[in-house]
Formats: sequence, C-alpha cells, structure tokens
Amino acid sequence: MRISRKISLAAAAAAILTAGGVAVAQNRTTNPVHDVPAASANGNLVVGLCDGKTTAEVPGVKPGQTLTPKQAQDVSDRLMNDWKAKNPGANWDDAPKVAQNAPPPPARPAPPEGPVASNGGKQEAHTYGSYTKRDEEIWKASTDAFIEQGRQIFHDAGRLGGTIGVSCDMCHPNAANTHPETYPKYQVQLGRVAMLRDMINWCIENPVRGKPLADDDPKLKAMEAYILAQRKGVALEYGKH
Amino acid sequence: MRIRTKELLQDALKWALPLALLTSAACAGRDPASPPPPPPPDQPNAPTAVSTTPSTGVGDVNPAPNHPTAKVPSDLPIGVSPVLYAISVAPGQEPTPEQVKLGDKLFDDVRLSADNTVACKTCHDPARGFVDHEVTSIGIGKKHGQRNAPTVLNAMFNATQFWDGRAATLEDQAKLPILNPVEMGMKSGDEVVAKLAAIPEYRKAFLDVYGREVNYEDVGRAIAAFERTQFSGNAPFDRFIMGDDKAIDAQAKRGWALFNGKGRCNECHAGNAVNPLFSDQKFHNIGVAAKTSNFADLAREAQGAVDRGNQEEIDRLALESKFTNLGRFLVSKRHNDIGAFKTPTLRNIAVTAPYMHDGSFATLYDVIDHYNKGGIVNPYLDGGMQRLGLTEPEIDDLVHFLGTLTSERYDAYGKTEMARMNGKKGQRPERDTLVATGKKGDTGDVGPTPDAKIKDPSSDGVYGVFDAAKK
Repeated sequence: MRISRKISLAAAAAAILTAGGVAVAQNRTTNPVHDVPAASANGNLVVGLCDGKTTAEVPGVKPGQTLTPKQAQDVSDRLMNDWKAKNPGANWDDAPKVAQNAPPPPARPAPPEGPVASNGGKQEAHTYGSYTKRDEEIWKASTDAFIEQGRQIFHDAGRLGGTIGVSCDMCHPNAANTHPETYPKYQVQLGRVAMLRDMINWCIENPVRGKPLADDDPKLKAMEAYILAQRKGVALEYGKH
Repeated sequence: MRIRTKELLQDALKWALPLALLTSAACAGRDPASPPPPPPPDQPNAPTAVSTTPSTGVGDVNPAPNHPTAKVPSDLPIGVSPVLYAISVAPGQEPTPEQVKLGDKLFDDVRLSADNTVACKTCHDPARGFVDHEVTSIGIGKKHGQRNAPTVLNAMFNATQFWDGRAATLEDQAKLPILNPVEMGMKSGDEVVAKLAAIPEYRKAFLDVYGREVNYEDVGRAIAAFERTQFSGNAPFDRFIMGDDKAIDAQAKRGWALFNGKGRCNECHAGNAVNPLFSDQKFHNIGVAAKTSNFADLAREAQGAVDRGNQEEIDRLALESKFTNLGRFLVSKRHNDIGAFKTPTLRNIAVTAPYMHDGSFATLYDVIDHYNKGGIVNPYLDGGMQRLGLTEPEIDDLVHFLGTLTSERYDAYGKTEMARMNGKKGQRPERDTLVATGKKGDTGDVGPTPDAKIKDPSSDGVYGVFDAAKK
C-alpha cells in the first residue's frame, strides 16, 4: 500500500484504440499497490481481492497460468466469502438494485406516435433543441449499444486485459454492489478520493490482474456506462455504500 | 451462487436481442418464411413484430418503443445498421423481390416522362453514384431544376426526403418528380397510370405484384421498394472501424480525427454504428443560400409573410421558384428554417459531386473551403457555423478521409472522382484563407476544439465499435 509506481499507458492505449492513430500518454502516479505474492508457499497462483488485503490461492494453478471460468468464479466466491466473514455488517446486495425498483419518473410529452418513416420527421421550432421520435430511437439505441459494449467487457476477462481469467462480474454479478452513485468518495484501498473509473481500474489491477486503462479509454467509459445504467434510478442511501 | 445463476440467465435473456441486432443483424420478429398480413384496420399498432430497439436492461423506466418494426435483412453489409433499418423501414414496407424488379424497371424507364426522354435514372444514375453530376438536374426539354440531385444510396434511411424534407417517405418522394413540370413533366398521376396501363407488360406486372390494376400509389410503392434495396455500406472506413487498421491510411486517420475535432464536421455529420449515415437529418443554414445576391430581400419578404400570418401569402411564396433558396422554410414556415437545407449523408460523397442543394460546389475542396471560413454570413446562419482555421494540409486530410466513405461497389469510380477533384485543387473559388484564419471578417472565433496533436478526438469510442478488433 505504500509504494507508488508510475505506469505509462501509452502502449496500452495504442493497442486499444482502434478508432484512431494517436495514442495518449498519461502517467498514473498515485495508486498504491496491493502486494500479492506471485505464488503461495505451495507454488500456487495467489489472487488478491480489491480490498487490498484479502488473498486466496488456487490449488493446482501456477503463476502465469490462466484460470478456467469455473476456477476463476470459485476463487472469486472464496475471496468474497472471506471478505463477508471479515465484514459481517457490510451492506452487500445479492443482486443489483436496479431502476425498476424506483418509481417511474413523471410522464413527459410524448414525441409523435408510430414508426418514424410515416411521421414526416417534423422539426419543430429550434434547430438544435428539437428532436423527433426517430432521433430518440437512434439516441436510445446508440446509448444501449455503448452500454452493451461495457457489459461485454465487464464479463470478459480477456477484454479487460486480465491475466488470470477473473472478470468483474465474478464478484459483481450484473454490476451489483458497484454503487456508482456514491462517487466521488474517499476510497480506503486507494488512500485518496476516487471516482468510479479509479475503482474500476483498481479492480482491473487486483483481482483481475490487468493493466489499468487510460481515463479516457473507450473500454473504461463503456464499463462506466454499463455500471451506471444498471443502477439508474436507485435512491441514494448515504452511509450505507 | 444460486441467485447468481438466475441473475445471469435474466441478464443473458435481456441482452439476447440487442446482441443479435448489433452483431449479426438478425431479423427482428417475424418468421421470414411467412410474412403475416398487414394489421387489421382497427388495430393499426397491433404488435405484429417485436421492437428492435435494444433494451438497456435496466427495467421499464424507459421502455423501448413498442411499435411494430420491419423485418431486418440478415445480410446487411458492415456500415449499414440493422437498428437504423428497423427504425427507417415501417412494417409492411420490406421490399419483395417482385416489387423490387418492377420498381427497378420503372426507375429506368423514360416512358414515365412526358416526352419519353427522362427516367428517374437520368438524374439518379446507378453507374454514377445515383446522381447526374449536374449542378442542378435537367428534366424534359432541357429544363433546369432548382436543386442538385441527391443520391438514392441510403436515401431509405433519411428521416425525410428532398433537400427541404418536404416528403416524409420514399413513396411520396418517388411520385413528385414524375409530375414536376421541369423534371419528368407528366400532368397527373392519372395520366401516368393511363400511360402505364396501356403498356401490356406493365399492366401484367402490376397485376402480378400488387394484384390490382396500375395505380399511382403502387408506382410510388414499387420505386420505393427498389430504393429500399439501395443501402450502401462496406466502405474502407467501415473496415477500419471494425478493426482493420490498414483499411485506411494515415492521412485518412488524421482526417477522421479532424472530422471529430477541429473540423467540427461531427456537429451535424455525426455517425456511429447505430446511425452510420453521418447526418443529423436536421436542416441548417450554412450560408450557401446566401450566395444569391437577393437572399436577404427574399428572406425579409418571407419573414414578413410569416409574421403577418397570412397562410395564403406564405403558400404563394413556397410555390415561386425564386424562393427556392429559402429551403426548409418553404415547408416549415418557421423563421429559423430560412435558408436551411437538410444535412445530407456523407456516405459515397466522393462519387456524388457537385455539392450542396444548388450544386454550387464542384469539389470537396470547395466544400471544406466554405466551412473553413465559417460559411457565408447571413441573418439566419446556423449557430454552429464558425470559422475553422484549417490549414491546407488539414483540408487535404479531411478531403482524403471523405474518400474512405465510398462503398466497395463504387471503389474504382470513387478513386477516379477523387483524382478528378484532386486535379482541381488549384481552382479554389470558395477559399478565403484570411477569413478562415481570423485575419479578416467576423464569423466567430474558433472554440476550444480537441487538438489532435494532444488527443485524437476520434479515439474516444463514440462510433461504438471500438473493441471490435479484439473479438
């Protein structure tokens, strides 16, 4: 927790950004490091939990090997159970509290009814302030597509850049217990005030065992989008998250 | 883990549809083998097909539109969005091969014109990107129209048709040029029907396809059916965005960054994987209309008519050809639409010169030169217009990027056209470097646009398939 290290993200960014040629050089200077031993006394792979303290070894798996999805899920469960045992009072949801738990927002004027091909796509009043049902459908589908990319990455150790087969969903099924609405907040593991993306990156470092993503990495943004979307509409419960 | 299994299953189910839509262009809803009859008249919105708009998976607070949607072809090329297809094609509008064949024949047939000299194809030539490369189109008797012929390619995805959006559908659009006195010059739909019905092959074809005698609505429907097969993707840009880093060169990548940054093109020509048209389908006054010397007078006259609220006077203005440059205003009768024209798609832009509603820009260099100086100042200039300060190499990069939006179908033709425009690089009637660089005039100051030297503005994943290469 006391060593700070400097990670140049230029190489990672260059590999990730397919949409453009210019990589972003950024320095990350403040993250502490969870010193997880490379191997247990028995020579097995050790996996660290995101609390920066809890670890578990995976029998029969050597450092450098990738876990099978079952092994990865099993060790994630063991870590979480350890953590829950150590923190009996923790507020941990078994499933994400999602928007359908919240009362629907008040209705607003509906855009023109019916398929857009027949509504004429009327442009009312101001050029930029106006929108049609077609616009709305495109915006919604675009947003959903972005969220969907985040969901896929969240569930995919490979695309997270993980090296041991652990992915986010193994501790956070459907992004449960990610509490995106509680950021910014002081995050003890990091020893500083963090935003959601900082915590995603922390989890990518441990337990996923990957390299943190640049703050503006599309993958990071897509995961934020997914996590936020899963929680949209949940009332804040200060002090509980 | 007991709970988790259930959650994961729910999760998988929630995402099954959008996944299928976004990745494999699966059909949405009906069994392709047995298209159901249209909904009964008393149930115009009967759910004959499921919605194709993906759910966010976060419950019912913002339910997806649940109107019925068309069956989406399973073999759309990259760069053609199945979601946009479902949004743009109403259920029942899916073209059948028989309708397409008839529509194609009508599209090519000069007998749809009064003197048997002009077909749809005359101005929308499939061999030339479905345009005619004329400044404004030429109809019967060599009469010149007021507007430049827009391409049919991807027109099916437009929210409205024509430069001023006065037709809501392809069907409505198709019927109008046939009756326009300076285009195909037929006097009425009835006259068209009588002429076609007298041609045995057409009478038979309409009976076969629509099960009834020739009528003007079906003429529009058949042509629209053909046009709904003219979706166009599969451009080098699409291959690039899907992960083939070598599909476009370094100059085009710089152009793509400028497009999203300093060039501000994405203000109106934004595209993404869901909506890959590169058009907001809105109407903007970018100052092209203001090139005519009397634009201010015409606008004042039009504005006065609206202010007086005399509908008859407004309608009269809309019919007079000298008011053509008032654009969308003639349809909407709204002040802010004076001199505004629809943002066209940029797909296949290299093969659809000349540019703008009046065809007044011969090359893409002219187009960029125009935007570079912030358009042409007029009282109705769109608020998004400002000088850009693009350098000559940056203009080259942007033009080069636009050349990567050409479909594979027009690959060779696109290269020819790009070479032709490059050959005209020395002739730059729209260029005004002093204005573009802020040394003269006042068209706003350049805003804090992303600087490609610091960060590539196209690298932030807005197109939506940023991780495709890893799949």
